[in-house]
Amino acid sequence: MKFNTWFGTLDIGDNGKVLSVNLFSGSVRELASRSLSLRENRHSLPPAGFDLRAAALECGFVNSQEEYNSRLHAVTLEAVKLQLSASLTPDQRIIQAVEALDDLNEAANSLSERLSEWYGGYFPETGLAGEELALFVAKYGSRENVGPENPLYAKALESVGAKFEAEDEVLLREFAESLCSLYEQRRKTEAYIESSMLDRAPNLTTIAGAGLGARLISIAGSLEKLALFPSSTIQVIGANRALFKHLRARAPSPKHGVIYSHPLINTSPWWLRGKIARALAAKLSLAARLDYYSGRIDTALLEELEEKVQQIRASNPRPPQRRKEKNGGKGKCQK
Amino acid sequence: MPEIRTLSEGVFEIRTDKKKLATKNLDPGKAVYGEKLIQIEGIEYRAWDPRRSKLGAMILKKFKIPIKSSSKVLYLGAASGTTVSHVSDLVSEGAVYAVEFSARSMRDLIGLAARRKNLYPIFADAGKPENYLHLVEPVDVIFQDIAQPNQAEIAARNAACFLKKDGYLLLSIKARSIDTTANPKQIFRAEVKKLEQEFEPKFEIQTARELAPYHEDHLGVLAKLKV
Repeated sequence: MKFNTWFGTLDIGDNGKVLSVNLFSGSVRELASRSLSLRENRHSLPPAGFDLRAAALECGFVNSQEEYNSRLHAVTLEAVKLQLSASLTPDQRIIQAVEALDDLNEAANSLSERLSEWYGGYFPETGLAGEELALFVAKYGSRENVGPENPLYAKALESVGAKFEAEDEVLLREFAESLCSLYEQRRKTEAYIESSMLDRAPNLTTIAGAGLGARLISIAGSLEKLALFPSSTIQVIGANRALFKHLRARAPSPKHGVIYSHPLINTSPWWLRGKIARALAAKLSLAARLDYYSGRIDTALLEELEEKVQQIRASNPRPPQRRKEKNGGKGKCQK
Repeated sequence: MPEIRTLSEGVFEIRTDKKKLATKNLDPGKAVYGEKLIQIEGIEYRAWDPRRSKLGAMILKKFKIPIKSSSKVLYLGAASGTTVSHVSDLVSEGAVYAVEFSARSMRDLIGLAARRKNLYPIFADAGKPENYLHLVEPVDVIFQDIAQPNQAEIAARNAACFLKKDGYLLLSIKARSIDTTANPKQIFRAEVKKLEQEFEPKFEIQTARELAPYHEDHLGVLAKLKV
């Protein structure tokens, strides 16, 4: 019987004796990459329970237990390093970018709240918020610097805000500048996600939009996993708490998870959202499969979805009449 | 002076102000996951936190741990190497084959493996032992801590390939990874039955105890191959 091991190809007789042997030679790196290539071909593997260590000693690959240990240690470590450096997939780059975007949003929001509180002490009448306020503070600092060309000039003259100490002004301006650069970074990250998604999953991007598509990949773990999900799962991913509440207790099933952010759903009246979510999830799952398995761009998918949504809208023009909350349903449970 | 007592080969209980589980540090001067290093009579020990390690919890739940200093261990689900580092301490003359499938965890694990000569990292799916048949020799113990619904089957497959006739299986079963809604006690009963009957080879259960209070809804299992 002939088979491959990490140190060579062995031919073993029925009595367990090594008949012939072809030892691999070369550097640790060569042994490691050969070891990785062995896992690809499933045939000619050692039989279960085969004592590799004894065979390596018997055929002279190594001369001692210690040598076997140190060679194997070097080879396994090197193989893992090779695998790791090849393991950063395009999906993971997208996932990191989406998560970075969440972090940026969170940071930008809390800094912008702080800025508006802080600057409010000096010039509360601006009526600006978010990026506009940050740009304003970074540009002018104290309201005394606001010139007549700015529409806020009049308000700046009669503001009830306190006067700036020089020190405070510098600090606040720099704070506003770093907030501006966070907003800038957010735009760049969004653009990056947009272009990577168009490249990696064009169909999914067409139907879901880059942001939502990337978020679906991020939650699933990879485009492959997303493509393997049934559409009913895609419909509710991101609604974990509601789903498990539904499975454990008598809560209603969630209608939508992260796909709620899709404009087809969040602009529709409440009684259509569940139905549209189902149709959307079905097309999302088809799109993910197309992207993963064929890469072909299918424009019909979006048209079909829009047609389906039209149908749903046409056949459900009014909210359903009977609502359970009125007499029974939830009320009954609480009694 | 702290008092020291041997619980089983290589496993110590150190009594200072309170009792601590510990192993002799194979890589002196270095803590792996922020655990305490304790010097006693010139020997360095690493404290072992049972709340972060299923194996540590099993020891405190009075499992008879079959790992000796010369043991060869196949460790499935090595994660970042918290427990693996203690197993590596235990088998100072042996070997630990640490299988892990997550790139993120592997990044931490190779740092550990580079410093510990008896630790062989394998980046592969534990459900597919044919991927490392060409690397792993027959072992005395398989330790498995993976959160997969088919963990009993994975244990059997690996035992078929690598476990010596008189070897042991140590298994941690997480109820929540099999079914999030069912009653853990029922899941444990079903999983133990699977180990005993469903796959080839079949196991003979020696000890099966829940790991509470260290780990909620986890069952520790010590088993041998059925003859």
